[in-house]
Amino acid sequence: MKTKNIIQAYRQAPWRMQLQWIGIFLLILVSIAAIAGVYLSLSGKAAVTGRRIQKLEYQVSALELQINDLASQLAYASSARVMSERAKALDMVQRDPAQAVYLEVPGYSAESFTLAPAPSANALPSPSILPEFTASLWDWLGDILAQLPGPAENTPEVQP
Amino acid sequence: MNNPSWTRYILILLVFALVAGSVGARMVSIQNIPAAQTILENSKKLVGVTQTIYPERGSIYDAQGRLLAGNETVYEVGLDLRSIAQPETIASVASSVLGLDYSSTLVYAKTEPIEDEKLYIVLDSFVDKEKIAQLELIEEDYTNRDIGKNETRPSLEGLIWTPYNKRSYPEGDMGANLLGFYAFLDRVEGRGYYGVEEAYNDLLAGTPKTEYTPFDPQKITSVDDIPPGASLVLTFDREIQAMVEQQLAEAIDWSGAESGTIVVYNPEDGSIIAMATTPRMDPNYYWTQGDVFPGSTPFNRPISETYEPGSVFKVITMASALDAGAVKPDTVFTDTGSIMVGGTTITNWNYGAWGDQDMTGCLQHSLNVCLSWIATQLGAEQFYTYLKNFGFDRNTGIDLGGESHWPLKLPGDNQWYEGDLATNSFGQGISVTPIQMAMAIGAVANEGRMMAPHIVKAIIMDGHQYDVNPVIVGNPIKAETAETLTRMLVDSLEEESSVALVEGYTVAGKTGTAEIPTPFGYTSGVTNTSFVGWGPAEDPKFLVYVWLEKPTISIWGSEVAAPVFSKVVQNLVVLMDIPPDPIRLQASTEDK
Repeated sequence: MKTKNIIQAYRQAPWRMQLQWIGIFLLILVSIAAIAGVYLSLSGKAAVTGRRIQKLEYQVSALELQINDLASQLAYASSARVMSERAKALDMVQRDPAQAVYLEVPGYSAESFTLAPAPSANALPSPSILPEFTASLWDWLGDILAQLPGPAENTPEVQP
Repeated sequence: MNNPSWTRYILILLVFALVAGSVGARMVSIQNIPAAQTILENSKKLVGVTQTIYPERGSIYDAQGRLLAGNETVYEVGLDLRSIAQPETIASVASSVLGLDYSSTLVYAKTEPIEDEKLYIVLDSFVDKEKIAQLELIEEDYTNRDIGKNETRPSLEGLIWTPYNKRSYPEGDMGANLLGFYAFLDRVEGRGYYGVEEAYNDLLAGTPKTEYTPFDPQKITSVDDIPPGASLVLTFDREIQAMVEQQLAEAIDWSGAESGTIVVYNPEDGSIIAMATTPRMDPNYYWTQGDVFPGSTPFNRPISETYEPGSVFKVITMASALDAGAVKPDTVFTDTGSIMVGGTTITNWNYGAWGDQDMTGCLQHSLNVCLSWIATQLGAEQFYTYLKNFGFDRNTGIDLGGESHWPLKLPGDNQWYEGDLATNSFGQGISVTPIQMAMAIGAVANEGRMMAPHIVKAIIMDGHQYDVNPVIVGNPIKAETAETLTRMLVDSLEEESSVALVEGYTVAGKTGTAEIPTPFGYTSGVTNTSFVGWGPAEDPKFLVYVWLEKPTISIWGSEVAAPVFSKVVQNLVVLMDIPPDPIRLQASTEDK
């Protein structure tokens, strides 16, 4: 009987318990709302960034077209026929091959022409994004678990 | 449980359960109504689009990196039927700027859009930048124009223009026989024809990719880059090609020839330095092909047209005989003016008897009788084995579209007669292409090594340049034979005081005059004139093959083709930075 009385003495009032439940509920609600807010914020930013990437891709395509076009324009403007006509317009005359003068330039050697580096020698590192920026939470967890030390294996004896 | 608050809880629970159940039931209902499939299909269109992306076609450069074939921007002008505001304004502007018919454009602009069937109409393709600039100016003017209260602002809304690449050839018809053309008017099925455009079509075109592009901006990062097609760097130099084409045009004009071909080939590695021929067309206007090449006119004679080469072929016969040991340079042949082989009487070009001649004399005077005798000394079996080793029974494999060859008649074939051994020895009764001749005689210039002719120097793919390595296709003769024959041909040209000689440079060479067969025999009275020569003789950097078809100024190769060779080489050595022999040999001695 004595023990029972003590327990009853520590029992909280019902309104306190209701308040606690309401508090816990509100805490969960606020937490969910906060997570949802963060999620919305991040996904909003991701959407804006995605749209920006899309615009940049369109710009890249447009610039590639422009580069091709400008290269073609330059080639037209400096084509053999146009250059020949320009030379004639400037009263230049074609040289007589017999009048060519040859000079030896010590140490000079004509280098072979290249438009791009050879595949093995001068390959530039391609731009990459660190895995920290691309890995999902699951990837990250998977990596952590993979790095954990596994069960000890029986190492075979090494014969000398 | 009798507590009234529990009753309220249960009631609320039931209400929620009822609402949730209703929603679920409605969901199941919607998914099973007849229109559900249509809704599902339509919803897919709202989340993304699947399209085939064609990569940009690779460019083609000359050996110095000058653009020979690239891409320029043109536009497609079309109507977005859903957003057209003023059909009359669009028709009027399209008519004045693009030159389209007003009435038909108006009909298009007033077309009612049909979902999934007709939302877009192409008005015009391959519209140039200048016209698009005019459209942009008009659109800007409409946007900024001051409009009165009762006036309607004119609008081009619904008229859209989209840029895309069009193949362009900045050098026009220069080197067009090597480049070929890309049929760009067909934007989906277009492909390359002739030249490198055909031979490397797959590489140049790249790999089209069908890709799903989501509208969800969070999934945009999944869009892959479509790599452009590979670019090509050719072995030929634009300046040399332009010079050779100019020399060819002047030669045809001067000689009255029907057509002409000049091949400049590097015997050391098989690369084509220049290849000029007639006719040529501007590949920017490739649809004129039927007019430029009427009938069976080949697109690129040097690789596609076979002809009887005449006496230039004596180089091959002599090389074979020397290599096999059938004759030596100092072997003396007494020319009596004729020889009978297999029932066929062979005479010299002037029907004369030239008496005692060593082998250099036989080449110098281009004696058919002597070369026929040499072929008989060599024997048919060995002679044709050498011809096969020189590659006359097959294509050279040059990396240009449209190569062909004439089948080599061999002993045992129905159409081969014993007399063919004699006629073939001086280049009659046998048909070859200029590129076959250049490759075969290149072996004589290159210490007996025969190099595969090629036009592509390097391929640029994925940002890297892959150089094409020279390929040896055979060693038809020994190095000593090649050296001996080269010396003999140098001597024969110099002793003859040929017009093919080039001051300051030692060149080896041989003329050729071939009668042209008709269905009734060699009765046409017209000839094919040729010359093959290379230099500097002891360290060849070029081999030039000249062929002028049916010249009217003279029927002889020594008078028509030989001077053309000389002129080409005079300019070639300057453009290739090859100094005259004294300077070159002095520099070489100092280096050692």
